[in-house]
Amino acid sequence: MTPQPSAECALLLRGLREPLQIGGPQWDRVLRLARMTGLHGRLAAANLDSPALPDAVRRHLLSAARMSAFSARMLDAEIRAVAPLCTAEFPVIALKGGAYALQGLAFAHGRFVSDIDLLVPAAALRTMEHALQRAGWAAARLDPYDERYYRDWSHETPPMRFPGHVLELDLHHAITPVTGRLHFDPAPLFEASVAVPGSPFRVLAPEDQLLHACVHCFQDGDLALRLREIADIDGLLHSFAERPGFWPRLGERAHQLGLGHALWFGLHYARAWTHAPVPADVLASLPAPTGPAAWLMAHCTPLAMLPSDPDHPPSFAVRLARLAMLARYHLRRMPPHLLLPHLTRKAMLRLRARHGRGEGENDEGQP
Amino acid sequence: MSTRCRQRTIDLGAARVAVSSTIASFNAQLDFIYRDQDLGPGSADFVDLRVALRPGSPWRRWRPQVTLWSEATRPFEPYPLQSALPLFEWGSNWLLVQRLNAYLLLHAGVVARADRALILPAAPGSGKSTLACALNLAGWRFLSDEFGVVDPATGAMLPLLKPAALKNRSIELIGGHAGAVLGPTFPGTRKGDVAHFVPDRDSVAARHQPARAAMVVFPRYRDGAPLRCSPLTKAEAALRLGLNSFNYRKLGPVGFDTVVRLVQTAPAWEIEYGTLADALPCIERLFGEAP
Repeated sequence: MTPQPSAECALLLRGLREPLQIGGPQWDRVLRLARMTGLHGRLAAANLDSPALPDAVRRHLLSAARMSAFSARMLDAEIRAVAPLCTAEFPVIALKGGAYALQGLAFAHGRFVSDIDLLVPAAALRTMEHALQRAGWAAARLDPYDERYYRDWSHETPPMRFPGHVLELDLHHAITPVTGRLHFDPAPLFEASVAVPGSPFRVLAPEDQLLHACVHCFQDGDLALRLREIADIDGLLHSFAERPGFWPRLGERAHQLGLGHALWFGLHYARAWTHAPVPADVLASLPAPTGPAAWLMAHCTPLAMLPSDPDHPPSFAVRLARLAMLARYHLRRMPPHLLLPHLTRKAMLRLRARHGRGEGENDEGQP
Repeated sequence: MSTRCRQRTIDLGAARVAVSSTIASFNAQLDFIYRDQDLGPGSADFVDLRVALRPGSPWRRWRPQVTLWSEATRPFEPYPLQSALPLFEWGSNWLLVQRLNAYLLLHAGVVARADRALILPAAPGSGKSTLACALNLAGWRFLSDEFGVVDPATGAMLPLLKPAALKNRSIELIGGHAGAVLGPTFPGTRKGDVAHFVPDRDSVAARHQPARAAMVVFPRYRDGAPLRCSPLTKAEAALRLGLNSFNYRKLGPVGFDTVVRLVQTAPAWEIEYGTLADALPCIERLFGEAP
């Protein structure tokens, strides 16, 4: 049995879809969980028009709605700015938040975006990067080591930003790290990609969007509080699952790209936590994890991904689970002979930064 | 230094903050600074922000620290344990900015006579806190030292009553005034010495009464400077208000409309001054002439 979210967390997930009929004290908890998981913008989008809201709650939802509107305007500005750089020579695919907004998917309403992710064929990566640089985008200054980390071991260029813009731009040539176990040739993704009407951008095929969300949820960076990723998977399923032939194509695609495990995890938790419409036979046909890894994941995933009690520091179990998930993430991303020196270096830099800095000096620029 | 955990909800006017801590000295400071705003330990109802100040690791004997927790995370680096109050003040301001975007938040001190508000927007070091405190001591109602809270729905200024953080020379300047109530001085914070000025009881009691913007003054303190006051055009004032705001850009058209509405009713001035004795009469005179 998969551990379930707390009653309040379940309320939050329901509140992404329909207005909640709850009182002030419950709203207090739900809003805090929403902030912890970055879902407050979506909660606001679904609830702001509800007539029964207490005034203070409406104010907070309005605040979240205004922030997500800002995030949407910034995304739109970035998309408009990059559009002229897209040519007929090679496809430029918008991933994740940018793609959801371009397609006008329901769950993109209120969803926060902090960067725009673009996918281009590996052969066109330098061309696109130079076009962006000529147009004014610049990468943050990196030391040669970090530069090499991105170039050789990752699946994206160092993040770029146009001076004055809020959003960062990440240019990808694959959706999985090249040194990771899940790496596959992204050519089929380009072949199946879909043009966005009225825009020079393309998006992944619906099945591939779902697979990417699953890969991202369980393979990417900060594994704490990934409830937002599960909410994305749920949103994608509500957008695409009714299309004829979606499920058979999804299963086939996962098999073809070797992403069966990632898909199992994504669908399993979306079904357990958000009651996403996942047919039981689809889940049964996927390679479920087995052995000690399955046990570890089943115990660690809910602890690491669901928000902990907002009133208290995370428990020892939660911290341990997050550490275990982080270790798993790094091991899947890089083989140990690359990983060990990498993490040692990071730890040394952190230690040096801590000792070189006095107390309370990192907080410039705010009241 | 640590005892049992105390919980309280502080009513700032435009927002309520629940704070819990086991640090006895910090709790005593809150008792003093927020003496008339404390709603007690009941925290079941909806509040705008909940934070906990916890001592750092008990193993750290040398230079113990305090950490601010909010929603099970530590958004800021720890402070030295004795600086719990500055950490709470600074950290709660930062966190409120993230979630009070239903309002336009000017970086400004706000005082009022009756329901007419004077807005003092300014960058750090311009003397805005000192001026706001001096005006409070001269009989003006204190609405805020840090946040000029404007409700875009009505254009009204909402009080957000937190103590003004006075720095360095301002501590003596204001503290020496009969009737000034200051908390303890925290020497050697990143902004130098800091002490908190507690607004008078009438201002605290009126913290739920909005005021309308009657005048804007951009103060500029320069040591030894002769008094100089010059009017600003509406366009200039709007531009500068936008720059002196925490969320003007993020509010987009809402922020623009709110600022434009504000400068259309409230005349704006820039005042350069070297002493409070010069600045106060000038402000009183201009305010008397304002609509």
